[in-house]
Amino acid sequence: MEEASLSLSLSTTTNTNTNDLIANYYLQQWRLKSKSAAAKFESMGFPEPQFLTQIDEDEEDDKEELPSELDTLNSSGGFSIVGPDKLSVRYPSVNHHGHDVGVVQANRPAPSKRLVYYFEMYVENAGAKGQVAIGFTTPGFRLRRQPGWELNSYGYHGDDGLLYRGQAKGETFGPVYSTGDTVGGGINYASQELFFTKNGAVVGAVFKDVKGPLFPTVAVHSQHEVVNVNFGKKPFVFDLKAYEAQERAKQNSTIEKLSIPQNASYGIVRSYLQHYGYEDTLKTFDVESRSTLPPISFVQENGFTEDMNTYSLNQRKVLRQLIRSGQIGDAIGKLKDWFPQIVQDGASAICFLLHCQNFIELVRDCAALLAYELPQKSSVGYLLGDSQREIIADAVNAMVLSTNPSVKDSRECLHSRLDRLLRQLSACFLEKRSLNGDQGEGFHLHRILNSGRKG
Amino acid sequence: MSLLWHFINGLAQIVPMATSKKVITREEWEKKLNDVRIRKEDMNKLVMNFLVTEGYVEAAEKFRKESGTDPDIDLATITDRMAVKKAVQAGNVEDAIEKVNDLNPEILDTNPQLFFHLQQQRLIELIRNGKVEEALEFAQEELAPRGEENQSFLEELEKTVALLAFEDVSNCPIGELLDVSQRLKTASEVNAAILTSQSHEKDPKLPSLLKMLLWAQNQLGEKAVYPRINDLSTATLEDPAV
Repeated sequence: MEEASLSLSLSTTTNTNTNDLIANYYLQQWRLKSKSAAAKFESMGFPEPQFLTQIDEDEEDDKEELPSELDTLNSSGGFSIVGPDKLSVRYPSVNHHGHDVGVVQANRPAPSKRLVYYFEMYVENAGAKGQVAIGFTTPGFRLRRQPGWELNSYGYHGDDGLLYRGQAKGETFGPVYSTGDTVGGGINYASQELFFTKNGAVVGAVFKDVKGPLFPTVAVHSQHEVVNVNFGKKPFVFDLKAYEAQERAKQNSTIEKLSIPQNASYGIVRSYLQHYGYEDTLKTFDVESRSTLPPISFVQENGFTEDMNTYSLNQRKVLRQLIRSGQIGDAIGKLKDWFPQIVQDGASAICFLLHCQNFIELVRDCAALLAYELPQKSSVGYLLGDSQREIIADAVNAMVLSTNPSVKDSRECLHSRLDRLLRQLSACFLEKRSLNGDQGEGFHLHRILNSGRKG
Repeated sequence: MSLLWHFINGLAQIVPMATSKKVITREEWEKKLNDVRIRKEDMNKLVMNFLVTEGYVEAAEKFRKESGTDPDIDLATITDRMAVKKAVQAGNVEDAIEKVNDLNPEILDTNPQLFFHLQQQRLIELIRNGKVEEALEFAQEELAPRGEENQSFLEELEKTVALLAFEDVSNCPIGELLDVSQRLKTASEVNAAILTSQSHEKDPKLPSLLKMLLWAQNQLGEKAVYPRINDLSTATLEDPAV
């Protein structure tokens, strides 16, 4: 992100520099897009074109590594034997005391930048005494003691159904479990609880007072015990999705109770259409909203902001249409006629953007002429997409807005109200999560947009 | 230990310590805002979702052309849905019922409460137009059987029929049933039922996101002091009161 702070800290003393601020912002957007596109492309191994649009949709959260198998580096000194697939454990001998438990942690701690983390353990053989356990432990845990018997650990034990958390005495918690049962352990970051399940049903939950990374942990302690672990490669017995949905619904119902000014959404949509120059839509919207019931009592913004948004609405519409249909040359021509100050300096960032796009369009035309399919499938295939044109269209739109003499700070032209609101929303989520020890979900607009599709 | 030290210590125990919140300056916060990536396509989808759910068919069509955003619902179904809504709002309930059944006969079949409310609205319209005999006949034949099946239906039915007892309906205590707001209520119910039957959420996402913003700001406000957006209509940052 160094480039970002560099371009945005340009001084705003001269007009040209102010204009460059806008164009540089969009140049940065382009660079970020191409960086993530190239990286994703390589990791996906030359995907089909339709996947290219998903490239920058993956949230940053998913950069957390997940537990995938059992750890074999730290061992409990021969008291547990991990199978070759690293997803099963057996107790090799006969136990004699409380310090010869075979405890195994996952290879990585539970990820925290999400709503819930969950994993399961299947008891293949409860052996002589059924002293199997599932739980969570901190790094450096003494792997010869049952999870829960020591501080900073939690364990739900199969032989007595008790929950142990930090001491040798357990609390009444859930049912016992044995051969053939599947138990699960989960961390709910929203409620800050650890919960456990047996055969698909939650048996109980406790407050998570341990901060810091927690490793999913399983343990065996008597002769012939064997357990298998599932970190998500196979479907869970427990309906995790339903649990997550339930948790989100709880949060949503709290949120829905809040009140917002009537017609706040209407105003934001209208302002959005004005800002980006969707003139036809705006006109039709105004007509249609006049005939709605109940009538929209909308307080018009003060004259200043109204003027700024309807400024050059028609011209911005035309420019956007031209750019979206790839007619960059025509767009440049119109700019020369209407707003020559924007394209005056051929070396400016906006001219660079426009000429690049022009070139891309030429390549596209040539490729089409030669019926050459490959460009779409290349690592720069995204350049030929509509979203690329969208960046240029938005850049030009912002530049035109900034020519309005009543604009004080051209940064106002960069973001619509909706944009600012969404950014604030996202920033609040991220900061809250950061202050919370990096636990919990961020704000994912894309997920919200695609949710609720019951069809 | 000095006397002063004891004194200060004692004070600290009496005076509640202000919870130390993290202070985030305007500059720091703006940098965080700049690092957020909001895709234009997603914002377009949000706007389209608003237009479509609220029933601005023509605006949605224009927006599709101007922005290239795909409406997540067939625009033709919106026109049908809006026709039903308008019919109810205008008091043409019979027409509305016919249209709903044309759209999807299962909607009324699986929604007895909705159907009852539509019939009730029909009754109200008959009473409004002074067609007393017709109203009574209608109430007897169509609504009474439903009232027998369901206690709350019966109560509402009785309330509606009671309108006939008043000479000056505009001043009676249940006169609100004759108000246009009653039509709007019924129209809204039909609208929601149609959307649900089309596997579409009945509310636009934008208002929920605005509420989420208020919630998120309050949540963060418990742990930090930072610039907030207090006025949704201007969406401008306001520095925290120091």
